[in-house]
Parts: sequence; C-alpha cells; structure tokens
Amino acid sequence: MIIFEDVCKTYQPLGNVALDHVNLHIHPGEFVFVLGHSGAGKSTFLKLILREEKATSGRVIVNGQDLSKLKERKIPYLRRQMGVVFQDFRLIPTMTAYENVAFAMRVTNIPEKHIRKRVPFALDLVGLKDKMDRLPDELSGGEQQRVALARAVVHTPKLIIADEPTGNIDPQLSLEMMELLGAINAMGITVVVVTHEHELVSRFNKRVITIDKGQVVADTDQPGLGAAFRDAENAKLDLGEVRI
Amino acid sequence: MKWSSFRYLVGQGLHSLRMNRLMTFASVGVLSVCLILTGVAYLFSTNVDSLVEYIGQQNEMVVYLDPDLSEEEISQVDSSVRSISGVTSITYVSKADVLETYKGYMEEYADLWDAFEDDNPFKANYRVVVEDLEQMEALSAQFAAIAGVVKVSAPLELSDIFVSVQRVVTYAGYAFVAVLAVVSVVVIGTTIRLTLFARRKEINIMKYVGATNGFIRLPFFVEGVASGLISAAIASAVVLGSYYALEYYSGQIFTGMWATVVGASLVPLADVWYWLVAGFCAFAFVLGGLGTAVSIRKHLNV
Repeated sequence: MIIFEDVCKTYQPLGNVALDHVNLHIHPGEFVFVLGHSGAGKSTFLKLILREEKATSGRVIVNGQDLSKLKERKIPYLRRQMGVVFQDFRLIPTMTAYENVAFAMRVTNIPEKHIRKRVPFALDLVGLKDKMDRLPDELSGGEQQRVALARAVVHTPKLIIADEPTGNIDPQLSLEMMELLGAINAMGITVVVVTHEHELVSRFNKRVITIDKGQVVADTDQPGLGAAFRDAENAKLDLGEVRI
Repeated sequence: MKWSSFRYLVGQGLHSLRMNRLMTFASVGVLSVCLILTGVAYLFSTNVDSLVEYIGQQNEMVVYLDPDLSEEEISQVDSSVRSISGVTSITYVSKADVLETYKGYMEEYADLWDAFEDDNPFKANYRVVVEDLEQMEALSAQFAAIAGVVKVSAPLELSDIFVSVQRVVTYAGYAFVAVLAVVSVVVIGTTIRLTLFARRKEINIMKYVGATNGFIRLPFFVEGVASGLISAAIASAVVLGSYYALEYYSGQIFTGMWATVVGASLVPLADVWYWLVAGFCAFAFVLGGLGTAVSIRKHLNV
C-alpha cells in the first residue's frame, strides 16, 4: 500500500534534513503506528504520502502510484483514495456534521442519492447519527474527531491516515478512537496512525515504526532494526525513573 | 463537472455569502463605495465635457457676403455655403435683417435708420455654428474660398482656448476615473485576500479531501460575483438616484446664467444610465469574480 524506497527529504533553503534514507513497506490491510518525538520527521512522512511535499530523492509509492511522477492535477484523485484524520479535526465550521461528511463524497461527484445513504451510515459507525445536524462548534472535541473519522471513511478509501488523532481528546476517548480505527481496519482498510504517545501505542498489539532524526530506527516487523536506538530510549526512561 | 455538482457549488457560494455576513458586508461596502466614487467621477467628467462643448458652440463664425451680389448670385452662394459639412447650424441674415437688428438696438433713433432703407450699407451674412471647434480654422478657409464671400469672421483664438480646455477636462476626467479604478482594484484585492485568508483553513480541508482546484474555486467565484453584483446594484441606485434628483431639481438649484448653461449642457440621465449600469456590472464582475478566482491561487498550493 505504501512503499518508501531510500527516501530523503531536505527542506531548502536551510538544508534541514527531515527524512534520511527511509525504507519501509506498509502492506494492504495493515494497522501501523508511526511513532516519533516532535521534529522526528513524522509530519514530513505524512506530507510525502499526501503528496503535499515531494521527496528530494528516492521513491514514494502509494497504492501503486509513484508520487514523484504524479502530476499536480492528479493529486486530488490520489487523495480521494485515502481518508485523513487530523489532530485538530479540520471540520468546516459553517457546515453541519452531515455536510462535513457529505463534502468528502461531493468532491468525487458521487450522486446525491448515494450520499444520502452513505453519510448516515458513516455517522452511525462512529455513534453520531443523532447529531448529524449539529455544527462543529456544537460538538465536543471527541465528537468532532469522530465526525472527522466518519468523513475519512465515508467514501470507503483504501487507506486511512490519522495524524495524532488522540492529541486533542482525553485518554478515555483516545482509547475509543483507537478502537474505532481498529474496527475500520477490520473492514480491510489500511490504517496508519502517526503519534508520539508511547503509552497509547503499547496498549495495542500492532506494528510500530519508530522514526527519529529522520530515520526509521525501529520497526516491529524487523526486530533486528534499531536495537541500539531502543537501548538508548530505555536508558533514558531508566534515568527518568531514577530522577523521579 | 456534473450538473448536480455545479448546482451544489453555486448553492454553496450563496450559502457562504450568508454565513460570512461580516466579510460579505465589508466587501460589498468597499466595492459599493469604490463604484460610487468612480461613477460620480465619470458623470462629473462627462458633464464638464458637455458644458465646455456647449459654451464653445456659442462661438459663431460669421460669413459676410458681397453687398453687390444679385439675388441669383446669393442663391448660388447659399447652395455652396450649405454644402460644406461639419456644421451644426447655418442661419442666413439678410441685409434687411441686419438693419432691423440695429434699429432694435437704437429704438429712439429708429427714424434715422430709415434713411438706409433704400441704400442698405450692411452685408448679408451667414451665422455658422461648427460641430467641432478644432475644425473652425479649416472651415473658415473653406467659406472664405467661396466666390461672393468677402470676409469670414471667426473667433479662432477663443476656439483654440476652448479646444485646449476641453482636451484637458477630458484627459483629467479619464485620469481621475483611472486612478479611482486602480485604487478600487487595490482596496478590493486586499479585501478579497483578507476574506480568503480568514477561510484558508476551509480551503486547506477541501484540498485534503481531494477537491480539485476548480471545485474549490467555483463557490468562491460565485460568492465574489454575487457580492460584486449586489455592490453594482447599490452603486447604480445611489448614483443614478442622485443624478435623477439633480436633473429633476436643477431648475431650483441653479439660477440666472447657470440655469441656462446647466439646463442646456446637463447630460440627460437617459443618455448615461445604461453605460453606468453596464460599467458597474462589468467592473464588479471582473473585480469580484476574477479577483477572487485569481487571489485564491496562493491558497491552493497544498
């Protein structure tokens, strides 16, 4: 589903290296956590998948399409194959929950009668069918995040990308959100969750790719990778406990 | 794009117009004021131009005929004089008419003028009003070349002054309207950019869910055109309404000589309203619609 082949990304003019020779392969139907501290390169990783940025070198392949060769006008069609959930929800404030979800279908020219069937279904999936006429401001943070999730899944994409989906909601709702993402994954949709929350990740038995300083330093699919990094992280945690 | 999508996007544009009332009010307000100022400048310039032209046309050229011409010769001269183009009006004043005029000037001594009844010393003449003051010199030469014409009296220096004044007024008017139009473009461009900046997140979201640039642009374009047309309607109502009132009450506002001059030179509303309305609509469409469509480009690079 997602292939990074020796991908480097350097931001000009300062020459900041965001990703440094990254190689990874996420298979269709997988549930993957991409873990890393702030500034580790997670956002760049996402921007490359969404084709918001282009790799400086190497190849990014999403759903069989080489993004370095993708024309600008084709980008919307790439994004229609995925659903994105952001930390800050990114709902259109002037549209109701229903309209926000329906919008993701309207951009793909889906007939209105299908929209009328699919949107209530998606909102029901996230438990918000009874609040579909509310504006985002009239919903709690957790509810807004669920509307965003409904918008991400409504057009049955092949891939869901969640960027810090639990960053603005409380721990209990975070677990519910992850369970919802798990349920969506069970429907055969590939799910990539980008987060910095070690604790949340450790609660789920899923593949974890750890990024640090622009490099993949650990991948639970490849146990040998990043042993040195893990030792260093554990040492930091030990030190933290001693200090406390 | 499907018809249902097009309808939806047009609806979205009009919906946003209502939802973003404050920004709509601001852009309609700014655009209306700019259009009103430009419209007033256009009317002012057109009227000053008409006024100068009217005053200029009061300068007659007098073509004197040889006093010894027979009736037949006068008739030949008459056809030659009237065949010259570029003339607004030609009035023939016979020897007898001139004598009568002088008698009128000196009524107390009218009897003295009777002595000239049989031996009229005046020259019959034509009073000619030219269409274009710039052509006065050339026309005067043409009249002078006609056999039987002894003299042409044309206020050439005065007509030159009027031509210069009219030229200055015309160019100043164009420049004034152009400067106002440029100011309007800058002010409205800033307003549009502010509107788009306030809604950049919305545009960003649309991009992430896979909306094409055309899909994002259309509602903003509709919104821009709609607020432009509302502004054009407001500006038309204000400018044409005020002009109608000026035309209607000009008799009371202007007195004495001004009443005559303004009464004769005020450009009728019927001659200008369609230019103004068409200009307002075109200006508003270009600024509101295309301005939005172009300004949005920066926000589409996501």
